[in-house]
Amino acid sequence: MASFTPYTYFKCPCTDASIPSRNLGDEQPPETEENSDDDRTFDPRAPRSNYSLYPLEHLLYCEDCHQIRCPRCVLDEIVTWYCPNCLFEVPSSTVKSEGNRCTRSCFQCPICVAPLSVSSLEAPPQGLGAELASQQNGPFVLNCAYCMWSSKEIGIQFEKPNGIFAQLAKIKNGGLPILTAKDRRKDREERKRDFSGSSAAEESQESEAPINLDPNERLDPESQFSNLKAFYQTQMAESSPVSALGFTGDYGYGSPGALSRIMGLYTGGSFADKKSKTKSGTMREARDALEGLQIDPLSSDEAITKLRTEGWESTASAEQRHEQTTHTPFLSDLRPIAYLLRTKRSKRCKTCRHILSKPESKVQTTRFRIRLVALNYIPSITIKPLQPPLPTASPLLAPLKPVQFLLTFKNPLFDSVKVTVATPAKTPGRFPTKVTVLCPQFEVGANTDVWDEALRDNHKSSSLSGEKRRTKAEASEGQHQAEAGKVWERGRNWVSVVVEVVPPSLRIGGSEWLKSEEMKRDSGNVRDGEEVVEIPVFVRVEWEGEVGGEESGLGGGGKEKEVREKRELAYWCVLGLGKVAVD
Amino acid sequence: MSKKQPKGEYIETDTGNKVSRRSQIIGTTNIILGGKTVIQAEVIIRGDLLRTYPPSNPSEKQGNTVAVAIGRYCFFSRGCELRPPGKLYKGQFSHYPLKIADHVFVGPSSIIEAALIGSHVNIGASVVVGKFAIIKDYVRILDGSVVPPNMVIPSFSVVAGRPARVVGEIAEGEVDGMDLREVYRGVGNA
Repeated sequence: MASFTPYTYFKCPCTDASIPSRNLGDEQPPETEENSDDDRTFDPRAPRSNYSLYPLEHLLYCEDCHQIRCPRCVLDEIVTWYCPNCLFEVPSSTVKSEGNRCTRSCFQCPICVAPLSVSSLEAPPQGLGAELASQQNGPFVLNCAYCMWSSKEIGIQFEKPNGIFAQLAKIKNGGLPILTAKDRRKDREERKRDFSGSSAAEESQESEAPINLDPNERLDPESQFSNLKAFYQTQMAESSPVSALGFTGDYGYGSPGALSRIMGLYTGGSFADKKSKTKSGTMREARDALEGLQIDPLSSDEAITKLRTEGWESTASAEQRHEQTTHTPFLSDLRPIAYLLRTKRSKRCKTCRHILSKPESKVQTTRFRIRLVALNYIPSITIKPLQPPLPTASPLLAPLKPVQFLLTFKNPLFDSVKVTVATPAKTPGRFPTKVTVLCPQFEVGANTDVWDEALRDNHKSSSLSGEKRRTKAEASEGQHQAEAGKVWERGRNWVSVVVEVVPPSLRIGGSEWLKSEEMKRDSGNVRDGEEVVEIPVFVRVEWEGEVGGEESGLGGGGKEKEVREKRELAYWCVLGLGKVAVD
Repeated sequence: MSKKQPKGEYIETDTGNKVSRRSQIIGTTNIILGGKTVIQAEVIIRGDLLRTYPPSNPSEKQGNTVAVAIGRYCFFSRGCELRPPGKLYKGQFSHYPLKIADHVFVGPSSIIEAALIGSHVNIGASVVVGKFAIIKDYVRILDGSVVPPNMVIPSFSVVAGRPARVVGEIAEGEVDGMDLREVYRGVGNA
């Protein structure tokens, strides 16, 4: 069985308040509802709580609101767009016009999603002076180095090794050219002219003009889309009312036509509209391929024969089809996938709009301009079993046997904090664990420099900081018994306390009077996750922080600067301690 | 992972590198270690895979070529292998240097054939990094992934799967945890 690493998850208070409120000018952070341990204890196993629990690294902290912010209660804003393959920055104007994919030569294999590289089909130069040969200019193909797929398999070759995106847009699978938007427009104009000349031409299959006039021609999706779009635009233009001043259509709130229409709503009758409506026709749907109508053939003989001859292996899987933009039932229909652009985002607090995290806009730099992470504001909690487990012992906890764990609170602030820890005596759920915190209230020192501390108590043989507790040798030195009301060990900016836990027995059967209320109601088998011992812990942190600079400037002058104001923060955590063995 | 080794497990150099006696480092003249790097037992570093031809650059001597360059505070777990990638270029097969930046952790039994690995990268156990892959800074590669050749992994990604895909992002708070100085101090010794 995989070994269990103890975890600590923090609950973001954003899930409690229904409407985020602005707390400008409010010194004390709002109290959370779960102040009392009796009612509304946080249940880590409730389905909703999964969405509010995060490890400490994922949480940010808003300095104005003095609150934790989780990824769900921050607003993201995009700083830069870049391609994850060529790491080339794409300006946001290009993203708006060209779309959110890389338009250079970055593609993913349609079979295995690995990156494709461009190589020449020309044989490498042989013989003397091979390394001095000039650049290849044979036809180029895209190759996958992972699954050995090549764009030759779908019949696509390129003339130039750069700008593959543009070249790919012009070639269909099999090598036939696709018409560009310009060609299609020209095409449409010419066909419209021919059609208006002869009405019978809609039925004819032969082509008189150089371009094929088949009304039922199979259009590729781009052509169909552009034909349909042009058709609907003409329909809208014909059917919308023309107001007195000559504006067609509704241009929003400003046009006189819209104004008269809106005034008409208020006055109850639509005097102005009745006149113009009689002039316009009704909109109709597309009639043939020129206008964008595609009728699916009644029989899918082609697809079936292809499937019969080539078999199941020639069809594309659901994941492969999902990445494609068009309908691709077969592997030979798949096309290389352009890379989706990735973003660098800055995060803002929802309530006070303060920026919490802002990366540099250059793609190559990994620094942050602003980075307010919760790790730098709230004490982190690490869990370790008090008695180091023997290597031969099972990693699971024995049921109904008290086990002691060491919780280490590390304070990142520059002021010392008072921590109060509270847990319900029995964890909520079908198999309650009995929990006792041996020292519920303690003070953790400030995170000052090592040198400050050394200079201050140079005569004391002060215990070294946290590194000491890492080696196993130290654990055996701390032989003293865990006493209630006393901390286990203390360091410069950290404190360890002992928590005693009695894991439950996972037995479903058994005498009625031993069962908890929930067990009596719901006696199914042990569900996934119930064998993990998770204890909800309510932590309240109090410290005296310095008042912000702008407030100290008002009145009083220099004296105000020394005022230290009491601050507190309270939140729920969930400690995952271990898995219980089934007895 | 036990950090208590029997006596004489590591050879410690002047710059603080801790190299296990049971590691297999070939071509040591072509390998550069930045300092405070830990190389555990059974690690293979192929410094013998060099460029086979000096480019038409007359100032470059054969002895100056570097096959593997490693930064500071790196950690190579047992059984992993570092191999410079090679390819057929203009008719000749030659190897290119493997450059690894600072604070890189490589898990046990992984095979690394990348071209460039950035700083603060955490590579899991049994990972295969394909030829000429480029891994930028602050990346976590989960256990068992296979990074295909020529893949570029942008900064702050979490990567997993076969072939490897970007499955998540590194949160701003995790950045401090990828520092390997504490891990280096925890390696007891020799």
